[in-house]
Amino acid sequence: MSRAAISTFVLAVAIGFSGPYGAVAATPAELGAGVASAVDVRDAIGEPAGRPLEGEALLESLDEITSLMRCPVCQGLSVADSPVASALAIREEVRSLLVAGYTRDQIFDYFEGAYGEFIRLSPRARGFNLVVWIAPALMVLVGAWLVWARTRRRPAEARAASVDADLEPFRERVRREVGY
Amino acid sequence: MNRKVALVGLALVLPMIVMLALGFRSDPREIESPLLGKPAPDFTLVGLDGRSYTLSELRGKPVFINFWATWCQPCIAEHPGLIRAAEAYRGRVEFLGVIYQDSGSNIASFVAQRGGWGPSLVDEASRVAIRYGVYGAPETFLIDADGVVVEKITGAIGLADLDRKLSGLVHG
Repeated sequence: MSRAAISTFVLAVAIGFSGPYGAVAATPAELGAGVASAVDVRDAIGEPAGRPLEGEALLESLDEITSLMRCPVCQGLSVADSPVASALAIREEVRSLLVAGYTRDQIFDYFEGAYGEFIRLSPRARGFNLVVWIAPALMVLVGAWLVWARTRRRPAEARAASVDADLEPFRERVRREVGY
Repeated sequence: MNRKVALVGLALVLPMIVMLALGFRSDPREIESPLLGKPAPDFTLVGLDGRSYTLSELRGKPVFINFWATWCQPCIAEHPGLIRAAEAYRGRVEFLGVIYQDSGSNIASFVAQRGGWGPSLVDEASRVAIRYGVYGAPETFLIDADGVVVEKITGAIGLADLDRKLSGLVHG
């Protein structure tokens, strides 16, 4: 194969990967490079209220927070589980905020301020959202009560039915003697 | 059927039917932006033209911010309309394009072939897209002359619709 053909092939691959896959192919370090001045998060959530994280503590917090955040372009996947570029970018932003010393609550406030409560995989237990948390438990309790109420009646009905059955021979005899 | 059981059943089912009826009235994919009615988050980005653009420095004129990419079909579909709108509102509205999950070289090639409607800003690590809560491309944010986000448009926008909205922004 000629050098020109090899060069063209390499260039074509490079151009091909410079599209949407470019961001996915970038390492977290490359994603984070040169981004300090683009947006000032202090405008949204103020100064960091916690301590800067690193090492294992950073990874644990990162996994915990991103597992509770919804990937914006996926169907029900968390940011932690999603391989798409948007989720990777959000993960990197969360990592930057943790390194800067922002707390879990501040980080969720930041993303909710941008995306709305939909960014949370589980809705907050407040206001109308309480219906989602309370209704299933309530349904189970109501169902249990219904079952209990029905089974309470059954022994009495069964007793009545068995009494009826016991009386049947006597009813038959009365019919024969009375003659109808 | 036992009347009490029927009433209990109705009491359980009726609220569910009401909730479903209310739910079906809205599109679950239309998520209202929490930025509406609030000051637009400030940012500073560098364009492919090498210039630095700071949103707050554009106050005094309405701003049209469009997050887009060359791999996004609706973005390509709305591109000619944006070119015409930018021409029609030149000097009255600032048009800014933010590159979303795409490369500068792709954008430059695309604009060289099909024309552009405003500076294309490089959003490293999608920080501005995240700050604006962008779910996908194209998404457009209309900001009034006071720097307040007045509308978020998800998906491609037609020229007639865009003209109406921009006219409303310009004339207050």
